[in-house]
Amino acid sequence: MHELTWGMPVIAYLFMAGLGAGALTTSASVLLRGGQSGKYFSIARYGAFIAPIPVALGSALLVFELGSFQAGHWFRFLNLYTVINLSPMSIGTWLLTIFLGISVLYAFTFLSKDACPGDKQDGLRRLAAWVGIPLGIGVAIYTGVLLGAMPARPFWNSPVLAMLFFLSALSTGVASIILVRALLHRKHASAQAEAHYHESGYILSATDTLLIGLELLAIFLFLMYAHLTIGSVREAATVILAGGELSVLFWFWVVVLGLLVPGIIELAILVPSIVYHRAYRSHRVIEILVPVVVLVGGFMLRYVVVIAGQITHPIGL
Amino acid sequence: MSKKLKTTQQSRRGFLKGVGAAAAAVGASATPVQAVAAITEPKKRYGMLIDTRRCVGCHACSVSCRSENNVPEGKHRSWVEYTEKGTFPNATLHFLPRLCNQCSDPQCVSVCPTNATHIRDDGIITVDADVCIGCKYCIHACPYDARFLNPETGAVDKCDFCLDRLEQGKEPACVATCFNRARIFGDLNDPDSTISRMVASNAVSVLRPGMGTLPNVFYIGLDYADEHDIRFPRQYIRVTTHRDENIRR
Ligand code: SF4
Ligand code: SF4
Repeated sequence: MHELTWGMPVIAYLFMAGLGAGALTTSASVLLRGGQSGKYFSIARYGAFIAPIPVALGSALLVFELGSFQAGHWFRFLNLYTVINLSPMSIGTWLLTIFLGISVLYAFTFLSKDACPGDKQDGLRRLAAWVGIPLGIGVAIYTGVLLGAMPARPFWNSPVLAMLFFLSALSTGVASIILVRALLHRKHASAQAEAHYHESGYILSATDTLLIGLELLAIFLFLMYAHLTIGSVREAATVILAGGELSVLFWFWVVVLGLLVPGIIELAILVPSIVYHRAYRSHRVIEILVPVVVLVGGFMLRYVVVIAGQITHPIGL
Repeated sequence: MSKKLKTTQQSRRGFLKGVGAAAAAVGASATPVQAVAAITEPKKRYGMLIDTRRCVGCHACSVSCRSENNVPEGKHRSWVEYTEKGTFPNATLHFLPRLCNQCSDPQCVSVCPTNATHIRDDGIITVDADVCIGCKYCIHACPYDARFLNPETGAVDKCDFCLDRLEQGKEPACVATCFNRARIFGDLNDPDSTISRMVASNAVSVLRPGMGTLPNVFYIGLDYADEHDIRFPRQYIRVTTHRDENIRR
């Protein structure tokens, strides 16, 4: 057993950065997808306000965890900005910084009470959205690449990991939008607005379900490849397989609670709309419970992966 | 590897030009051939050879390292692992002195976001404690557990072959203190150095060669057994790594 050099702050950071990046990517995509009609403007607005908050909080946590900060050199972390090199952390720092700037700018364009498609800020908003999508994808993927870059940590050293973190980032981003939207929802006055509310609910749930399916696929591939190989990677993967130290955390919290339960519930609600083309109806309780378990699952995924990478080691002297 | 060789040659050529001009200016006191021979002397590549057959596990090296480098309690720049293997009468107790391998292709350097960890011209990998932000990325990237966070400086620390002593022309503390001469230190690029001759004339191995780090610390008489073998009970194996025990505490 080894000391955990990367603990809770790093785990929380990976989760929060992913969430924020996912929220921005989703928001910007639906905004641009809606075109001039501004069909999903309200979803985009929720996403825009969510995005910078977790990323900023997560980055702050990360600074507090630095050895230099804890030893009293409070501003030494600024050394990160004196170089750009090929270290995933260096690239990630720059991405994250630009992301923060853009996401704040993007949120700002929605700030006005009567922000609407085609208003004064529209050009700026769409520009920020165009820049924000690749940045969001970059931040979401880098959180996985950061861990995946090292042969000395066989559990993390898998290209599937970055993909898994990316999908999880998008899915938690979508979940956060569903959650905030459901929490802030007030009955609409007009029947048309009400119908529109349900329609955007449909888009969000359908996207989330798809992402959950892809995440399950990525987990399957991760385990499959770990199991098909021999040596360090297979040894390391045993911590999350039956009998491993983290197997319950992984299978119950991540797979069952975080993916299967919300996936099945959402699917059950979506099927009538998909198969029988019935009008989709949002259910408030479900729109609160489902994203909560998705978020818990997303956090537990980071938790299990970060811990598993540190308690397993390459085999051989 | 070949890439690395090429860059050394290139920089040497650049260097040659400058020195050639200087030599021309000084005059013809040395023949051009001699001058070239002196200048093309390759860069140093410091390394260590540890003859585990001579090691008795006395920890003199660990102790001298602590006092030389002010290593904080519970952390280690240099340590000795014990491996017990087999049952009497077919048994062995084997010692494995450990330190940073001063790798030629070190991953600790490639992940460092601030360039605090860097490779010197003489091949030694060091951490600039005033630049390091203590992100601990390099601790994960090193396949040998050679690095630790020094809580006093807030920077990562590890063996640097006692740079201060080298600059005074002395050997690293662990080498100087090893009464049984199990450690040989020197320039691996100089074919006449003791270390180069011993590496050439013995069967040597490095730790975890599969990691591709190209270590510059070599071992004679390295045994395969590690903690993972305990789970496959071909025979009795017990591994004591003092580093882990200290960490567990
Ligand atoms: S042993 Fe570890 S710390 Fe030392 S140079 Fe190699 S990778 Fe870096
Ligand atoms: S802990 Fe220091 S030396 Fe290590 S990677 Fe971070 S900045 Fe570089």
